[in-house]
Amino acid sequence: MKRLALAAALAAAPAFAHHVELLPPLDFVPPAPGSYVLHHIMPAPEGRVLGVDGRAAPLSRYTHGGITLLGFIYTTCSDPDGCPLAYRVFDALKEAIASRHELHGKVRFVTLSFDPARDTPEVMKSYAGSRALDKGNGLRWTFLTTRSARELMPLVEGFGQDVRVTRNGRELSHVLKVFLIDAGGDVREIYSSNFLHPQVVLNDIETLLAEER
Amino acid sequence: MRRLHCFALTTLALALSGPASADETCNSPYISKLIKGQEDYVYVWTLGVEGLGDGSDKLVTVDVNPKSKSYGKVISSVSTGTRAEAHHMGFTDDRRHIWAGGLSANTIWVFDIAGDPAKPKLVRTVSDLGDKSGFLGPHTYYALPGRMLVQALSNTKDKGGQTGMALYSNQGKFLDAKAMPTANGGDGYGYDLAVNPKKNVLLTSSFSGYANYMRPLGDLIKDAEAMKNFGNTMVVWDLKALKPQKVLSVPGAPLEIRWSLNPKDNWAITATALGSKLWLVKQDAGGDWTAKDVGAIGDPSKIPLPVDISIRRDGKGLWVNTFMDGKTRYFDLSNPEAPKQTYEKVTGKQVNMISQSWDGKRVYITSSLLANWDKGGADNEQFIRGFAWNGKELAQKFEVDFNKEQLGRAHHMKLGSKALQAKAEGG
Repeated sequence: MKRLALAAALAAAPAFAHHVELLPPLDFVPPAPGSYVLHHIMPAPEGRVLGVDGRAAPLSRYTHGGITLLGFIYTTCSDPDGCPLAYRVFDALKEAIASRHELHGKVRFVTLSFDPARDTPEVMKSYAGSRALDKGNGLRWTFLTTRSARELMPLVEGFGQDVRVTRNGRELSHVLKVFLIDAGGDVREIYSSNFLHPQVVLNDIETLLAEER
Repeated sequence: MRRLHCFALTTLALALSGPASADETCNSPYISKLIKGQEDYVYVWTLGVEGLGDGSDKLVTVDVNPKSKSYGKVISSVSTGTRAEAHHMGFTDDRRHIWAGGLSANTIWVFDIAGDPAKPKLVRTVSDLGDKSGFLGPHTYYALPGRMLVQALSNTKDKGGQTGMALYSNQGKFLDAKAMPTANGGDGYGYDLAVNPKKNVLLTSSFSGYANYMRPLGDLIKDAEAMKNFGNTMVVWDLKALKPQKVLSVPGAPLEIRWSLNPKDNWAITATALGSKLWLVKQDAGGDWTAKDVGAIGDPSKIPLPVDISIRRDGKGLWVNTFMDGKTRYFDLSNPEAPKQTYEKVTGKQVNMISQSWDGKRVYITSSLLANWDKGGADNEQFIRGFAWNGKELAQKFEVDFNKEQLGRAHHMKLGSKALQAKAEGG
C-alpha cells in the first residue's frame, strides 16, 4: 500500500511525471535530504576522454567544480536493468532539475562509454541526440568516449565499474553503477540498480548542496 | 571495423580479467555475478594452530570441481604469518578481493582473487579499525557499492560486547563508524548484518564480546555472570542513512542473517545460538518490522548450538548446522512462519559453517567454531567435507583433513569459479 502511494506521489509530482512511470517503483521512503551523511568514498579517477566533437580532454574537466552524476554505458546495451534504466533515471532527473530553479547550474550529467571501439564520438553524438543540447533548462549533459581500451582502463578500474565481455564476444556484461561526484571531485555515492531511483538521487544532490551552504 | 571492435573488447577483457567467486546464496546483493553452475574452488579461512604447520591463519583453496584432476585437494594456501582467530570473510562488490579478519585482533587481510582465482594473493592489510572506531574483532564483511561494511563483535576499551559497524572504501580507507544502539531496547551487541536494498533495510544480529568468545567454552558456561553477556536483539536500520530504526527482541544470541532471495518474499531468517530457535523477521501488514520465533532446532534444552545456516536460492529450504551434536539439518521453508525439519545427518564430530551451491546440489561443511570452543581430543576433527544433495540424502564426495594436512582449524568458506572470468571469444 505504502509502495503504491509512493509511486503515485512520485508520478504525480511534476518533476518526474514523464518518466517515473517507466521506472521500477521505489519501495521505501528515502531519508530526507541533509538528514544523513554521504561519505567521501574515493577521488574520481583521472584519464583522457573524447567529447562528441572528437576533442580530447582530461575527465577531471567534467568531474570538478560542480555536482556530477556519471554513468557508464555502451550504446548497444539492451539489458533493461542496465544502460536503459540509467537513461530513464537521468531523463527523469533532468526534468526534475529543469523544474527547480535553485538547482539550475548546480548539476551536470556525464555519460561515458565503455565500448570505445564501437562508440566513437560520432556514435555518441548520435546517441546523445537532443540530450546534449543545453536548452536553458539548467543542466549540461556531456557524452564522452575514449580513444581506446587502454585509455578507458584507468577510468573503469578507478571507478570500480565491473564489466566483462560475454562469451559470444558481442556484448559487454556489466553491473549498473552510477556515480555521484561532488564539486571537489570525490565520489560520494554509488548507485546500483536497486538504489538508482530519481528521488534517491535528487535527495543526495540536495544533501551535497546543503553541505556547500 | 568488426575486427577492431573485437580486438578492443579482447584487450579490455584481458585487462579486466575479473574473478568470479561467491558463497552463492548469502552474498551481498551488490556483488556482481553469481556462480550459477559448477564452482571450481572453495576458499577456506583457516585458524592457525600452534605447532601445526606454520601455526598461522591462512586462506586455503580447495579444488571442488569433480572434473578436475585435483578434485578434493588443497591447491593453494596463503599464510598471514600470524594467528588472530581467523573467522569470517567477504567479497568486495566488484569481486576482485576477499576481505578476511580475525576476532582476536583488528587486522583485516585483503586477498586478490582477480589475478588467479586458484591462487589468492595477499595484497593489503587494513589495521586501523581499533584506532578509528574503538571496535575489536571484525566479523562480517558485507559489500556495498564501492565500500565494505564491517560488523565487529567487541571493543578495544573493555573487550566486552559493546561494539558496532565500520564502513571502509574498497581501497581500505576508513569512512565511518556506527555503534550498535543501546537505547530503545538495544543491547549494543553485534554479530552479522545483511541488507535488503529494495526495502532500504539493514538488519543486524548480536552475539558476545572478546571476553567471552576468547574464553574456553567449558569455563564460560560455568560462569553465570559471563553467560548473561550475550546479545538478545536484532536491529532494523535505515540502510541509506545507516541509522537504527527499531530494535527487535530476539533472545538467545541471534547469529547469521539470511534474506530470502525470492523476489516475491520480504523476510529474513536467523537462528539463535543459545536459544536454538529459528526466528523470522518480516514486515507486518502495516509495514512495521517484527521478529517471531518460528520453531526449535533440535532439543533446545540440550543446547545443540546452531552455528550456521544456509538458505536455498528460492527461499524454500534452509540448512542448519549444530555444533555440539555435529548434525546438519534441513528445514522445509515453504511456509517460513512454520519451518519443518525434514532431514538430519551427523556430518562430523563437530560442525560449524555450511555453504551450498546456487543450485543447491552441493553442500560444503567445515568443522571449527572458535579456537577455544572447539572440542578436544578425537572429537577435534578439522575438515572441509563436500556433499552432494539430491533432495533426500547428503552423500559425502570428498574430505580434506585439515589436521593431517597441517593447515589448522577450518572455518568460513566462500566459493570460487574460473568460468566467470572475462573471456572474449571469436575476436
